[in-house]
Amino acid sequence: MAEVLSAEAIVLGGSATTRDEAIDEAGRLLVAAGAVEESYVAAMHERETSVSTFMGNGLAIPHGTNEAKSAIRHTAITFVRYADPIDWKGQPAEFVVGIAGAGDDHLTVLQSLAMVFMEDDQIARLRAASSADDVLAILGDVQV
Amino acid sequence: MASTTAAPRTGARVSVQKFGTFLSNMVMPNIGAFIAWGLITALFIENGWLNLGGEDHAWLSPGSWVAHIGGWGDYAGGGIVGPMITYLLPLLIAYTGGRMVYDNEPRGGVVGAIATMGVIAGTDVPMFMGAMIMGPVGGWSMKKIDAIWDGKIRPGFEMLVNNFSAGIWGGLLATFGFFAMSPVLDQIVKGGQKIIEFLSDHNILPFTSFIIEPAKVLFLNNAINHGILTPLGSADVQDHGKSIVFLLEANPAAGAGLLLAFAVFGKGMSKSSAPGAFIIHFFGGIHEIYFPYVLMKPKLIVAMIAGGFTQILINVIFDVGLRAPAAPGSVFAVYIQTNSSVKDYVGVTLSIVCGAAASFVVAAMMLRADKSEEAEDDLAGATAKMEALKGKSSSVASALVGGTAVATQQIRSIVFACDAGMGSSAMGASVLRKKIQDAGHPEVTVVNKSIANLVDDYDLVVTHQDLTDRAREKTPSAIHVSVDNFMGSPRYDEIVDMIDESRG
Repeated sequence: MAEVLSAEAIVLGGSATTRDEAIDEAGRLLVAAGAVEESYVAAMHERETSVSTFMGNGLAIPHGTNEAKSAIRHTAITFVRYADPIDWKGQPAEFVVGIAGAGDDHLTVLQSLAMVFMEDDQIARLRAASSADDVLAILGDVQV
Repeated sequence: MASTTAAPRTGARVSVQKFGTFLSNMVMPNIGAFIAWGLITALFIENGWLNLGGEDHAWLSPGSWVAHIGGWGDYAGGGIVGPMITYLLPLLIAYTGGRMVYDNEPRGGVVGAIATMGVIAGTDVPMFMGAMIMGPVGGWSMKKIDAIWDGKIRPGFEMLVNNFSAGIWGGLLATFGFFAMSPVLDQIVKGGQKIIEFLSDHNILPFTSFIIEPAKVLFLNNAINHGILTPLGSADVQDHGKSIVFLLEANPAAGAGLLLAFAVFGKGMSKSSAPGAFIIHFFGGIHEIYFPYVLMKPKLIVAMIAGGFTQILINVIFDVGLRAPAAPGSVFAVYIQTNSSVKDYVGVTLSIVCGAAASFVVAAMMLRADKSEEAEDDLAGATAKMEALKGKSSSVASALVGGTAVATQQIRSIVFACDAGMGSSAMGASVLRKKIQDAGHPEVTVVNKSIANLVDDYDLVVTHQDLTDRAREKTPSAIHVSVDNFMGSPRYDEIVDMIDESRG
């Protein structure tokens, strides 16, 4: 079984400047990781239009709709950090974690993400991370 | 104001309130059907509006279409008035009750309705009480039976097993109800009717206000009205075409007089908020709004009893009756359901005027005699007390004092709700759960759900601020907290504080 967060899916200096670009960026990483089919990216945009996936503490978690579950090959997440926070419907998103959760996996993924992003010192570590390994050391616990 | 924790609630009252909420949850969703039935009755029966009140004014022939639908004249025993109260209303209540105990599964409602059919057919009185018993019993027992083979059915056979188990069990319950429950329920309903008849024959019906008025402000209003008075009144209607019982609790007269007295002779916040409360109470029919004014000065219950006594007395004198429950207890609902004769209208009108006048005069005397300066936050304190009494916070009452959520009751269950119940609420719930457990409250449950699946049995509901209004509609009795940050909202710490406080 593939790991949930791979080093290739971690980008420390995201290039997107808008929310839609950031969703594309996260989506591309999910596609590149072989976790989802192309159609999932469109579903991520669609999901974003209903309710914002900005979670607070600088974290946004774009993901697809329920209907797009069939486009998921395996559970995976991506991590993109932005030096200039993205304007996420008026909120500053510094970390964008794209999520593809097969079956009920997303619940476990979300819970472990929540445990990391509720701690200010963990967020500070993510902000200071200088390599993909640093990020993996913090988010590597995200398992299914 | 959260510090004004009221005296510990007694277990018995909480159970009665819970039971009352349960009963009213069965009845309230179906009030529309009660109103339809009331209107059809008012229009089409022999003494109805279309026949100009019948008797001397009657102008329609016994063969008219009005007689046809009303079930009188040539069509006696037919029509739709009788079948509606005999079948439709009890079956709706049974369905709602069965569905409610089976976690909102329609299946529970279906079995409850089948089961209730047995007691409907087995008795000759409207089986509201039977529906309130057999409906939930049907739903609950089906749930228990389903649990036996849950997950053990061979794939592809689920539909077959589910349909036949519901059909067989429902059929058994209906048979059991028909033979075993019917005689018992028949006796209970007839016993209740005898009590009402005894009370009205001996002209002591007004004295029921000595029980009803104090019980109301202790939030037993729904238990009394929907649990006891609605079934008794409906049976009474079957015999007499109308019932005074519907007016015992639902007449807004006494509360209206009290609030007017506050508007004129009150002080501070209670004076300034009374006119708004009057409108909500009198026209909106939400009686809960006046309870804090009584709880603030408990001796005012004397004014409420005076108002209640007077309005019932006048209704007795004029032999007034409603055709269907006035729910909510608004002046509009009362008039719409009033039996259509001049005497009834005059009686109801006088009962409202005089009942309000009585409670107004008594309350005014007490308020004026009370020289003590009222502290600004007395009403806020009373509202907190009331929420403690009720066991849940009342959004109507908090709107009254413009305050934030006050939790003086124990918070045991928290639900995090979002649109789909998948993502953000799951995250928020994990964060909050951890915080609450770290604070040493492992007994508090935190779950996440989609708003569509919310049911009103959580103590506290957390939602994104954009969704709070929708959640409030679904769970009016819970405390609502809005957040805009799921990870580190300061509101989480407030919730933990609230739990700490509610544990004293």
